[in-house]
Amino acid sequence: MKFDVSHKTVYNYSAMVSHSSHCVHLTPRPIARQTVERHSLMIEPAPTTRIDRIDYFGNPVSILSIDGAHSEFVVHARSTIVAEPPEPVDPEATCAWEDVQQRVTTGNGDLDLDVIQYLSPSRLTQPIPAILTYARPSFPERRPAIAAAWDLAQRIFQDFKFDATATDLSTPLSEVLRNRRGVCQDFSHLMLSCLRAMHLPARYVSGYILTKPPEGGERLQGADASHAWVSIWAPECGWVDMDPTNKIMPGEEHITIAYGRDYDDVCPISGVLLGGREHGVRVAVDVVPTS
Amino acid sequence: MTMSAQQALPPSGSLLAGYRPIAGVRDELLDEHGRLRAHWADVLEALEGLGDHERHQRSDRLNHRVRELGIANDIYADPSNTEQPWHLDLIPLIISPAEWRWLEAAMIQRARLMDEILKDVYGEQNLMRRNLLPPSLVFSDPAFLRPCVGIKPTGSPLQFYAADIARGADGMWRIIDSHAETMAGIGFALANRVVLTQVAGDLSKTANIMRLSSFFSDMQASLFARSERPDPRIALLTSGPTNSDYFSHAYIARYLGCLLVEGGDLSVVNERLYLKTLEGLKAIDQVVRCTEAASSDPLELNPSDFGGPVGLVQAAQYNPDLIVNALGSAIVENRGLSGYLPRLCQELLGEPLTLGDAPRYWLGDAEAREQVLRNPDKWIFRAAHEGTGRPGRATAGRILSALDSGTTESLRTEVELFGQSMVAEAPVGFATTPSLGENGLHPVPYAVRIFVSATEDGYRVMPGGIAMTVETQSVALSAPSALTRDVWISSDTRSRPHTSLWRPAIETATVDRSQRALQSRVADNLFWLGRYAERTDWIMRALRSALERLDQDVGASPDGPRAARRCLSSLIARDSDVDLPGPEVSDIDALNWMIGQLLCNDTHVCGLIQTVEALHRTLGHIRDRLSLEAWRTLRRLRAADLRGVARIDALEWLEDGLTSIAAFNGLVHENMTRNFGWAFLDMGRRLERAYNLSEAIDALIVKSEEHSSAELVLLLELGDSFMTYRSRYRLEPMLHLVLDLLCLDEANPRSIAFQLAAISNHLEHLPKGRLGNTLSEERRLVLGLRTSVQLAQAELLADKSGDSQLRDVLTEQMDKLPRLSDAIMRSYFNPSDERPSRVFTRLEPTQ
Repeated sequence: MKFDVSHKTVYNYSAMVSHSSHCVHLTPRPIARQTVERHSLMIEPAPTTRIDRIDYFGNPVSILSIDGAHSEFVVHARSTIVAEPPEPVDPEATCAWEDVQQRVTTGNGDLDLDVIQYLSPSRLTQPIPAILTYARPSFPERRPAIAAAWDLAQRIFQDFKFDATATDLSTPLSEVLRNRRGVCQDFSHLMLSCLRAMHLPARYVSGYILTKPPEGGERLQGADASHAWVSIWAPECGWVDMDPTNKIMPGEEHITIAYGRDYDDVCPISGVLLGGREHGVRVAVDVVPTS
Repeated sequence: MTMSAQQALPPSGSLLAGYRPIAGVRDELLDEHGRLRAHWADVLEALEGLGDHERHQRSDRLNHRVRELGIANDIYADPSNTEQPWHLDLIPLIISPAEWRWLEAAMIQRARLMDEILKDVYGEQNLMRRNLLPPSLVFSDPAFLRPCVGIKPTGSPLQFYAADIARGADGMWRIIDSHAETMAGIGFALANRVVLTQVAGDLSKTANIMRLSSFFSDMQASLFARSERPDPRIALLTSGPTNSDYFSHAYIARYLGCLLVEGGDLSVVNERLYLKTLEGLKAIDQVVRCTEAASSDPLELNPSDFGGPVGLVQAAQYNPDLIVNALGSAIVENRGLSGYLPRLCQELLGEPLTLGDAPRYWLGDAEAREQVLRNPDKWIFRAAHEGTGRPGRATAGRILSALDSGTTESLRTEVELFGQSMVAEAPVGFATTPSLGENGLHPVPYAVRIFVSATEDGYRVMPGGIAMTVETQSVALSAPSALTRDVWISSDTRSRPHTSLWRPAIETATVDRSQRALQSRVADNLFWLGRYAERTDWIMRALRSALERLDQDVGASPDGPRAARRCLSSLIARDSDVDLPGPEVSDIDALNWMIGQLLCNDTHVCGLIQTVEALHRTLGHIRDRLSLEAWRTLRRLRAADLRGVARIDALEWLEDGLTSIAAFNGLVHENMTRNFGWAFLDMGRRLERAYNLSEAIDALIVKSEEHSSAELVLLLELGDSFMTYRSRYRLEPMLHLVLDLLCLDEANPRSIAFQLAAISNHLEHLPKGRLGNTLSEERRLVLGLRTSVQLAQAELLADKSGDSQLRDVLTEQMDKLPRLSDAIMRSYFNPSDERPSRVFTRLEPTQ
């Protein structure tokens, strides 16, 4: 499938910002099942400096700095993406989770650091004993790794209620676990924390999801959204995506922007401002299938 | 062997009479047969010769110097408080030449090893790929900074390295902690040496010990060489006076001739690093980083920490040699490395590891975890990475047997979840070294911090260090009592010609330049130092005059208390929350109450205690800009003594205080280079003085229905112009003469006119004085103020019959002087630089 993605973010500041710097993760990374045909990043006001590079995790990142007073900041990312559905995975056909654990935590040969780096806890996925307690039922002895992770994703979907007002960026996992409410980021962080507490490599995926218009209705402009889900590793099939928020194994309707340990690593736009006081932000995302 | 140690008679003399090493524990002074080790003999003999009284006197003097120099205190602490932990033992730790040669080689090897590990972790990462260095050890350590991977300095990423080393009870040296983030408190070691040399220089000469100065000049030379510029601007980046190592930062910056800067002083523009100065941005060629790297760039590193300038990582990518130690260097501090070092050393350097770490397991390793958990109460559990604080502040760790029962299970869970960032250690005890106590010497357990720096000829080890008395049950430089001792390396060759410790040859070349580029922040602090010093002086002067007038029989006039009451009322009224005594209260009662408020009440924001505290705080921010004498002079003001002080002592305190401020002003006047820094200090003082005097004249003359010579005498006292008046007029004070002297006379250094002329002169010589053909705001203000004073006539000012010209002149001063202060701050100190803030986009909800 081919998609046109438009992702526009507008910041309004209540006072002049004298200088701002931003780290932008809005350029989709090329991956095996996804080709980026066209991409542009429009920024207003025009940045004084813009550095495009590849970050530690292999994602394209743009580092912007804007000198001179401004009260508005606009980033508009437009991409044309061709996505193939992933190879189907039989969750029961992978090795047991204990074997994955064994395989990545020991060894002397040519270790795959790109897998091992996703074993360690990060700031937003710090485990607590309650996380381990929650995770364990999905990991009976010798259960195939992907089946166990899929069971965990399903349990999170059942046990937790989607509630956009229950959490914000600073809500700790312990609270999400206690209140059983949150949004896609919270559920992804929770699942990552569980998997890493079990010493299994898992990474955070930032991307888009195509939303279906209501039956018979028009597609609403700007109603799509950026999204987050989880990817888990097994030796037989490599990385396998799972979306605990929607209880699905992502197919071609999930478009990947970036991989990281958690939201911190791949936040779409994070910035440091001088001045500005209060700020308001509007985000409009459109994912339009073109063929 | 142990028996012989106990039975052997100590060598003759009182010092060793009670010296009893612990059986089976290595002691530095006496060997296992109780014989004095040879390299101590000279020093011990000299110490013996001093006699008991002299030894203790010197010990007291030594610690008095420690406190005066400020080694012990952070700036918020009260200088009179002797509880602040940092004591220096008169008895050094002495290391023999042969032993030092071995240690020196071992430390150099270790620094090279750590340097190679760093290069790989931030480069190819082959060590991790081959599992010679467990990848999870690196990945789980917050000190591993992913955005810095790929930054490759041409020099060593590890410019500075320090290790805490300890000799076990068995006599073997081991490294108990590594420091690779910053210089790790090297300034404390230098300061200890300096004060000890002042108090016991004769002893160190006797012992023929190695000097430190050539180490520091080599280190300085290598910093210069790194920047590849003939006249580099080198900045030492600190997180500021709240950092427990701030003394060390300021001390070493001054010693090396670096600028002492904080994150807010720096700005990254176009990937290049600049210093914000009075004359705009100036390029920085080299940063000596004394901050935690993870907190050095809120954009790409720790997002919630604003300690460093935004974009520092970009600046390091642009110029990989810009920052030492390189960002991310602290990863090699990880204690989990211990067990992997022997193989890494063989692999990277092709030689066996000379000096190993204390026995220690990284609990990220499954086998190690099992082994430790089988017998958990044998081990001490600690964080794998703790960071470097002030020397001696390492945590002691948890010993399981010391914990409640039932924790074994929670420990198991903890190790399961957090093993990657934990280590288990086995204590090996500590050797002992002599310490001077009430009754001669006694042995104490100790560990030492040793410092290494890269130089142009490879790594060099500082021939000295900080030895501390430690807690024996830990495996750390954990010294809550902060009892330190200098480390002397006795030399078997005659020492090289003496290069003065205070003036390494290169330093002279940098001092001048570093002052030319005055940071805006420093100018700001100097300005306020001037203001607070003058305000303190003024309040003390007013209080002294008031105290002298409490007793009506003394003093020039029976109206004395009334005049003093008017004066203090205006000071108290600066805080609008305080109600003044009403007219029904007698002058004496009102005065008594007001003196109490201004002198002893630490909640009064305009009172003396808070003013002195503000003075000390400001002083702390710029201690590297002032001479030691100037710093010490102001630190002598001890506001804490004023709480509940008796009246008789108060007068004495005020006299001493006024002398201190006068001494400070004199030192500044005589010793401070007439650069921009001096201009701001002086402007602050002048501005404050002009305001205080205007306010006092307004309160005593303009606002008063009637006034007598009592008011005039008080004004002359406050304005320190009594003598001038007497010698000039030999008359009773008369209003127009007093006003002429205090307001209009540009020759009187206490007059308003003089202050304005001085400010005007400073502004003219500062950058940004003119904007095209128009005057800057501050110059316009001072011109207006100065003109109205110049146009005034003493006789008309004194004439109260018509419209009071005096009121107009004073009102204008009191109105415009604060605006002048604001205008100066706006022009030069970047007040628009608010604290930076952070924005994120949250992912929009979806389902």
